[in-house]
Amino acid sequence: MRRKASEALVLLLAGGVGSRLNLLVETRAKPAVTFGGLYRIIDFSLSNVMNSGLNRVGVLTQYKPLSLMGHIGTGDAWDFTGRSRFVKILPPRTGMKDSDWYQGTADAIRRNIDFIESNPTDEVLILSGDHIYHMDFAAMIEYHRSKKADVTVGMMVVPKSQIHQFGAGITNQDNRIVDWEEKPAVPRTNLASMGIYVFDQKYLLKTLARDKNEIDFGMHILPWAIDNDSVFAYPFYGYWRDVGTIQAYWEANMDLLKPESGISPEAWQICTNVEAEGRGADRPATRYLDGADVRNSLVSAGCVINGQVINSVLSPGVVVERGAVVKDSIIFRDCRIEENATLDLIISDKLTCFGAGCKVGIGTHHDIANRLYPKHLYTGISLVGEFARIPERMRIGRNCIVRCNATPDLFTAPVLQDGESI
Amino acid sequence: MLRPTTLAMILAGGRADELNVLTYYRPKSAVPFGGFVRVIDFALSNLMNSGIENIAILSQYRSYSLINHIGTGAAWDMIGRYRGISILPPFIDSQQNDWYRGSADAVFKNLDFIRYHAPEEILILSGDHIYQMDYQDVIDYHHKKQADLTVVCKKVARQRASRFGMAAIDDEDGQRGGRVINYQEKTERPEGEWSSLTVLCFRPETLYQALAENQADTSFEFGRDIIPRLMSQGKRIYGYKFHGYWGYTRTITEYWQANMDLLGDDPQIDLEQWGVRTNLDHRNLRGHQPALFGAQAKISNSLVYNGCLIDGTVRNSIVFPGVSIGPGAVVEDSVIFFNNSIGRECRIRKTISDVNTSFDAGVRIGQEPEGSGEQISVVGWNNQVPPGTSIGPGATISPSLDATKWPAHVEAGRVLS
Repeated sequence: MRRKASEALVLLLAGGVGSRLNLLVETRAKPAVTFGGLYRIIDFSLSNVMNSGLNRVGVLTQYKPLSLMGHIGTGDAWDFTGRSRFVKILPPRTGMKDSDWYQGTADAIRRNIDFIESNPTDEVLILSGDHIYHMDFAAMIEYHRSKKADVTVGMMVVPKSQIHQFGAGITNQDNRIVDWEEKPAVPRTNLASMGIYVFDQKYLLKTLARDKNEIDFGMHILPWAIDNDSVFAYPFYGYWRDVGTIQAYWEANMDLLKPESGISPEAWQICTNVEAEGRGADRPATRYLDGADVRNSLVSAGCVINGQVINSVLSPGVVVERGAVVKDSIIFRDCRIEENATLDLIISDKLTCFGAGCKVGIGTHHDIANRLYPKHLYTGISLVGEFARIPERMRIGRNCIVRCNATPDLFTAPVLQDGESI
Repeated sequence: MLRPTTLAMILAGGRADELNVLTYYRPKSAVPFGGFVRVIDFALSNLMNSGIENIAILSQYRSYSLINHIGTGAAWDMIGRYRGISILPPFIDSQQNDWYRGSADAVFKNLDFIRYHAPEEILILSGDHIYQMDYQDVIDYHHKKQADLTVVCKKVARQRASRFGMAAIDDEDGQRGGRVINYQEKTERPEGEWSSLTVLCFRPETLYQALAENQADTSFEFGRDIIPRLMSQGKRIYGYKFHGYWGYTRTITEYWQANMDLLGDDPQIDLEQWGVRTNLDHRNLRGHQPALFGAQAKISNSLVYNGCLIDGTVRNSIVFPGVSIGPGAVVEDSVIFFNNSIGRECRIRKTISDVNTSFDAGVRIGQEPEGSGEQISVVGWNNQVPPGTSIGPGATISPSLDATKWPAHVEAGRVLS
């Protein structure tokens, strides 16, 4: 007899650098990046697992895992504590034969075969921890069973112009994947892999044992499986975003302000660990003073607002003083925006201070890309790293970067031109 | 092993009749306050911040809400080998089968519990006041004076004194405290000007003896019976003078005023600075997303927690999680509890609305007759106010009112049940 679908083992890949998020991943892994004020990106995957009734999870970490480990804690926030429920952190480790870092997605799983074997199960669900979506994995596992598949891949339709970022599957009428292209320059399909796989456990162990040079699911494991075995696509319809670039990250945050976009953390029952960073969301209600003007924005508890907040997302503990303006911006926790400071199209990491009267995000040259990272910042968004302190009356242009811990003495001129960095 | 030396007992059994519909289904200590907490969170957070982590709560009236709120005690870090919160409900045994007949009787009935913990001092608190206090300083003073009982007091105007227990305290230690030379409970013209805040630090043996002797009486209250008894026996009773903010929540007006004291540029109650904590699992506080403001939202001088949807105007108000305020609606000078839904074009003024109540489009409260409305209206929980209903100032609406009982107009001051 088969086990219940909810007994599947979940392996969550949370080790990637996500370097295109630039400053936001300077001290933390991408899944630990703040999203939507209160949440971290990984909360979406973990909550989907919880809400699907699955409750045995391994999280594979590698890049700067401290913030992520602190956030996951005991797993209590997602109800993963109890006699048969757990979330385990699986960092890279040395052994008799292997003494290397994780080389890729499949390699990371291969190095944790002992963990899989010690948790007997019919299916293994492999996820990545860096997407914003809402999905029922129990339904996906039932689908996998009904298709008698060896592997089932979560897939969704994306615009053809974006398909080059994804694995693309060509399916037959039965949703069986008959051909595969990894990140094709000239796509033949618009069906993209979401990086969500259900494997039969035995099939997974057999496949990983075959060739150690097969280090990536999309590049190696899936093409071989499609040619030789039974691989199905599980179609997903709904909100799903890879927030791996600054632009995509900003857009997904802005989607939160538009209920019609289909994203709703509260309706999706997304849970987060509010105690991870000190008091987190355990803060008082936000105080709005006489000078407050808040429209089309998402404001977390624990803020003090006495200025204008328009089209923005605020994490807990943000202070917006009188006369200050925050527009089209994403502000992480405990930032301070002093009197008459103006922020336009900014992503600010935690605990920064914008001095009185400074103007960050000025001018209309949204197209002057950042000189150091032209592929990261080219749409006008300026980035401010954690703990940075911007001097009073400083003026900063578009696509600028102010590095983490920047102190006022580093700002040698009163203006930081478009595309420049501190 | 470091064992706690102080046992704190919180008196949380009472209902407070004057709070009316707000305490039909919960004790006063569990009444929501300040946008996300409960009244008892102030006492519990003070204890946590004072490093006192062995707590008993004496609970009798409708205790479910309170038990649910306390949970494991982890919210106040009161969980561990020697840390914990015990809830002590009334019970029957071979000797007796009575309810708690008063605050002193409640403690007397749990003497076994107290003796088991063998505390060096017993701190008796009331669970229904809004304040910040370091109890360690009270305990230090208690020991320094080798007192049998130390009573924390605050100076009040004599015309308000008839509602409180009033002490006359000498100036032995100036602003810090002194010997209590006179104590009178709720008299018209008291001798002293220091009102007892129901924060009492006892030498255990003194307490045990007084409680045992009190059992022969017909009244069993700390203020009315125990303190006067100890005074008459010439025990060493000291007054600790408290100079901070003190919020009473015994009447609707006091409760409303204490909420309003959270507002302004420099509020008298600063929840962040006071370090007030609550149980985030109660009513799923932690499950809410940040508050979402629509394109037409207007907000000033207000408190709003996570989980709200604001499309209308909010002024001088406290808004709890899960509240939605529709387009064109105006909420002012009000306290709106969890999960209220305020429809479009509503005008809600000077109103306290309990949980799960929804106001259909165009409901008006406290608006007419124009300019008369200084009275506070109170709407009980689980009500569905029909569209266009007009409610005069000072009206009271029972919880879960039958849908057929709603008139088009509820007169000012009327009690609708």
